[in-house]
Order: sequence, then C-alpha cells, then structure tokens
Amino acid sequence: MDIDLSSTDLAFQQEVRDFLTTNAYKNGTDYAEWRLNWFKLAREKGGWDVTKWPEKFGGPGWSPTQHYIWEQETAVAQTPWDLPFGLSMLAPVLMSYGNEEQQDRFLPDIRDRKVNWCQGYSEPNAGSDLANLKTKAVLSEDGTHYTVTGTKIWTTLAHIADWIFCLTRTSDSGKKQEGITFLLIPMKQAGIEVKPIITLGGAHTVNMVHLTDVKVPVENRVGEEGKGWGYAKGLLAHERTGLAGISKSLAALENLRKQAGEVKRGNGTLLDDPSYRAKLAELEIDLLATEFTELRSLASAANGAEPGPESSILKLKGTEIQQRIQKLTVEAGGIYSAAWGPMPVGHLFARGGMSGYLSSRAYTIYGGASEVQRDVIAKNVLGIKKSQSK
Amino acid sequence: MNFDISSEQQILKDSVDRFVQDHYELDKRQLLVLTEQGFSTDNWQTMAELGWLGVSVPEAHGGFGGNEIDTMILMEAFGKGLVLEPFFASTVLGAKAIADGGNEALKTEMLPGVVEGSRQLTLAYAEAQSRFDLEDIITHAKSDGEDYVINGHKSMVLHAGSAQQIVVSTRTSGGQADKAGISLFLIDADAPGVEITSFPTVDGQQASEIKLEGVKVSSARLLGELDNGYELLNALATAGILALAAEAVGAMEILYKDTVAYTQEREQFDHALSDFQVLQHRMVDMFMEYEQCKSLLYRATLEVVQNSAGAQRSVHALKYYVGKMGTFIGENAVQLHGGMGTTEELRIGHYFKRLLVIDAQFGNSDHHLALFAA
Repeated sequence: MDIDLSSTDLAFQQEVRDFLTTNAYKNGTDYAEWRLNWFKLAREKGGWDVTKWPEKFGGPGWSPTQHYIWEQETAVAQTPWDLPFGLSMLAPVLMSYGNEEQQDRFLPDIRDRKVNWCQGYSEPNAGSDLANLKTKAVLSEDGTHYTVTGTKIWTTLAHIADWIFCLTRTSDSGKKQEGITFLLIPMKQAGIEVKPIITLGGAHTVNMVHLTDVKVPVENRVGEEGKGWGYAKGLLAHERTGLAGISKSLAALENLRKQAGEVKRGNGTLLDDPSYRAKLAELEIDLLATEFTELRSLASAANGAEPGPESSILKLKGTEIQQRIQKLTVEAGGIYSAAWGPMPVGHLFARGGMSGYLSSRAYTIYGGASEVQRDVIAKNVLGIKKSQSK
Repeated sequence: MNFDISSEQQILKDSVDRFVQDHYELDKRQLLVLTEQGFSTDNWQTMAELGWLGVSVPEAHGGFGGNEIDTMILMEAFGKGLVLEPFFASTVLGAKAIADGGNEALKTEMLPGVVEGSRQLTLAYAEAQSRFDLEDIITHAKSDGEDYVINGHKSMVLHAGSAQQIVVSTRTSGGQADKAGISLFLIDADAPGVEITSFPTVDGQQASEIKLEGVKVSSARLLGELDNGYELLNALATAGILALAAEAVGAMEILYKDTVAYTQEREQFDHALSDFQVLQHRMVDMFMEYEQCKSLLYRATLEVVQNSAGAQRSVHALKYYVGKMGTFIGENAVQLHGGMGTTEELRIGHYFKRLLVIDAQFGNSDHHLALFAA
C-alpha cells in the first residue's frame, strides 16, 4: 500500500501542467478560435482531446492514475467548455454497439466538436422509471425507415443540438425493458419541436422535445431492434461514475473558503463563525473520504478488476457534496443572496450563488435519482433480493 | 499509488482472520469477559507466538519491525471479533512509547518481554479534569537526585490491572494546560505508592483508576525528552487513533453485514424486512459510511506512514468520522434488528458498545472536528 505518484506519473503531471499553462486563454483573443485550437493541440499530444476514449478510437490509453491527475489539473486550470452528450455518452455506445459505418460517420464530428448532440431518454411518464418510455417508432413495411412519435423531456441543450440519440418503443409485448430501440435523429427537420423549460435557477438549459411522425432511416438504428435498453444501461453506468466531480469540488471548496474570508462578520470574517467553520470542516472531511473512495475505485480498475462496491457510492456522495458547496455559497452571501439577476450589489460571488444552488437541486435527480441509486446498491452490492411474499 | 497489501501482509491477515474465527465466537468471548483479568492468557500466548505482540517493535529488539499498515491489518480483524486481549494498550501504545522514547538499555530490558508476551504495558494519559486534552495534566513529577517523584491521579487506564509497567504522562514544568513542560515516565505497576483500582468498561474490557503517591522513578526511565514529552504523547495518540479506527472499521463491517442478513431472514407483514425500501436505504447508508470510514482510514494511515504534510489533519478527520459513523451504524443496526437488537443475546449490541467506547478514546467526534477546523 502506498499513495506515492511514481516518477512516470510525476513526469506526466508536469507535462499536463505545462500543456495547460502554455495553452491557457489569453484575454482579448477570440474565444471560439482558441477553443477549437486548444482541442487541436490536445489531439496532437496523443489523444488528449478525447481522454476517455479507448486507444483504438484515438484515445490516449491512460492508466487510471493518469486520468485522476488529468481531472485534478483540469479542475483548477482554465479549459474550453465541452459537452458530454456526444463525447462521453453517445460515443461509447457507438464504439461498443454501432457498426463500422456509423462509427466512421459520427465519431469524427463528435471528436472535432463540430456537431452537438442531446440525449432523448426521459419522458413525461418515464423519469426514474425510464423503461416506461412510450415514444413510438414504427418500422415501415419496406423496412427502410421508422416513423417516430412521442415526447421527450428534460432534454439538456436540445435547442442548440444538431442530433438527438433517442430511446424509442418498437414493441409493447414482453417486459417493458424489451422492445426499446436506440435511434439517432437529426434535430433540424419538420416534425421536431423544441419547447424551453425554465428551471428554478432561472436558466434555460433543459427542454421538452415533441416528435411527430419523424422519419428515421434504419441506417440510424444502433444495434438490433428491441435491444436498446441494454445499450443505454451501459451508458448510464458510465454517466453515473462521471458525476462525482471530486476534483472540481475540492477546487470549489478552496474557492468558497476564500470567499467566506472576504465576508465581514463582527470584527472578523465569516470564517471566524464557529458554526460556519464547522460546516466547512464537515464538508471537507466528506470530500477527503470520497476522494479516497474514488482512488480505491480507480486502483481496483487499474488491476483490471470489476468496479468494487466502493465505486457505487461515488455519484451519491459526489452530488450531495456539490449541493452542500452551493448551499454554503448562498449562506456566505447572506442577505445579498436574495438579489436576483445581474444586480450590481453585494459580493461578486453572491450574485450567481442562489441561482447555482437552485440549479444544483437537479444533481441528485438526474442520471438516476439518489433514491434509485440506493435501490441499485441495495440490489447489486448488498445483494438484497425480493422475497417471495405470501 | 496502490491499495493492495503485500504478500507478507496477506499472510498476516489470513492468520489473524483465522484466529478470530477460531477463538472469538460470542459465547466464548462473553465467558472471557467474566474472568478477573478479562481476557485469555492462552490467546495472549498465541498472539506472542505468531509474532503479533511485536508487530511494531523494532527488529533489533526481537520485533517484526512493521509499520501502521501491519497494525491496521491486525486491529481491523480484532474489531471483527471484539478481541479482548490488551494488544492495543501493550503493543500499540506501551511498546511504541518505549521504542520511540526510551534509551537503549531500557529498550533492551523491556521490549523482548513485550514481544514474548511475558510483559504487559499500558499508557496512563487521561485525568479527571483533562477531558480530551492530552496536554491538560496535573499529575506532577519532581526531580529528587537521580530520581523523580510522581504524585497525582490518572483516569481510565486500559488494562492497568494486569500490566507490569505503565507509561505515565506527568507535568515537570509549566501550567496545567501547557504543551511544554510535559514528561513521560515508565513506572512499575507494583512500585510503592501506586494504587490501582480496576473495573470493567461497558464494552467488556478492563480499565483502572491509578493513584500515584510519592512514586519514585529513575531518570533512566524517562521516555522522550524532559519537558518535551508532548511530541511523543501526541505520536502515541496518533498511533492509537489509527489502530482504534481500524478496529472500528472491522466492527462496522460486522454490524452492517449482520443487519443485511437479519432483515432478509426476519418476516413481518408477510414479507422479509429487507423488502421494505425504507430499510434498504438505511442499510445502503450504513454500507456507504462504512466504506467512507475505510477510505479515511487508508488515507490517514498511508499519510502517517509516508509522513505527508496533511497527515495530522487526516487523523483528525478520521477520528471525527469514525466516531460519528460508528454511532450511526451501531444505532441503526440495533434499530433494524428491532426488539432483539436491544438484547445481549445478539452480537450486534456488543459491537455497538465497542464503537461507543472507541468514540470516547483519544478525543471524540466533536473534539476532532474542532481540531480539524482550527
């Protein structure tokens, strides 16, 4: 047992730091241009633009420790914005279940950040119970295309997306997990209507997407008809492990401490308030524990083992921690946290604090609500089976 | 970075797991609890023969020369069995005090006996008024030629009733709560002026109050530097906290697993209790906090072994979390076992009691949260 970084890992850490410092955004230059160039340079480093992709598809083939170092370093450095939908959610599905033609057709544009994807999973009556989805896809008699009709909801950034990857129902017989088909659908066409949903934080991020008689060629079906649930489930596991955000939370906590140190209270600052201090301390301890839980999980993955029981708790703990940081930011803002919109009052950080906190309430709902996560752990990790009721 | 134990440590783990399995069924344990010394001399001898009593003793003095990871492996297994033998008091605390603070002659005199199991040690650090502050010491030692004379009162000393020597923290200068002016001495339990009153603790172990009246001790029995004993005392507390946390993690594992098993057997309302989601989620939380305690245990232990900058804070974090979650897991294990959980018949209550005692040793949850936040 040891927690040292090997000399190879230390050299890698330095290389990452150098790259991030050299290519940081410089004020006054064109952001969009810098962004695309950053990804180009990262690609030239040997797949640093697609760090999680397998080597076969151009990824860097890093060890878990290297991934962890990358997470740590990018959490504190400025990197260009990026979206997970194509890159981290659809791409792994195409790599595992798509055919070669689909891989050639979609992966390069995802990698070049040319095409934006959104995820068509949830429906008004299929939230935590995702398999209950009803969006219908009917295959034409000549077998050339599906006709898709239904409604998707909570579709993040559907309003800027070029494509949507969608779970649709092609059969009602059998278990509800059967008869689900995975389709790729262009957004900009007749029959697709995107309606904004404004969430508590005042932001337009998610949408309702209505599909009415949308024609989708069979070439856009991933894998076999009726097998989409299995493909999506693998993807959900992927989504859950990516949601702990430990390195980002550690950086955010440091930031919060700095902000609280600027808030006057009596003759000192908010950091002198014992109850606020205790909350910060408890939060930091939870983070120290969760960080090591993640390291344990990475280490077992490095040995090629299946993710151990410890990995199942990362999404739950990680998202709760993110929410507590947001809550303590609001508390630090004090009375100014009530100001809404771009008001030139109070501490700078307090202006976005309430909005950030309200938005963070979704963290324990999306990607499998915390209650569903607990159901999954009870079943898969604790091994609790439903008993025969009498 | 690597969280696997070495092959040597795996052998150690296998043998201690087997020992616990063979010797620590609840019935057998409870009979030992009722004996006067509160543990088994045969078990103690077995521990010596297997080399455990010298696990952290330097090889030069007959020990195994291991580090805190080796101790962690033993203590986690002891936690699963609620082992009663005074390994913690004698090897983790007493032997370390001598190995780190004693002169060569004292080490040569004392340590081989500890390793062989013929000598038992303990540490007397607490006093009635000190609560959890190691530095709050009234017991004082006064220079008298080549000797020191100790007067005072030490509280809740583990297994002092069966120990031959006792490490005592004393004040040799400074005020009652100063970190400077503390000195540690090794006294004989049967020295004139030492009065030991022993009693059982709630977890089935043994502790003592010790009155010290004009107890003479040679300056050759000084451990660490005169007046600068705080550093050694704090190092003992750190080793103690790591070991107790490992024991707690072992106990928590039994508690959550027993609860998962029991709720699947017990039927009410024509269902196994485990069918009820409210209970499932509680057990998931027990499991999660057990894993989080384990993560902090690894973090603090490895940082102490590697002398990392954040080690002291991680030790505070660990003791806080283990105290808080030990109570959480214990209370819920009792709750989910229902009426049976409140009896002495099931083993879970005994694990719960041990976790409560661990919280109170070397500073409880609140104490370490305050130190972490300072």
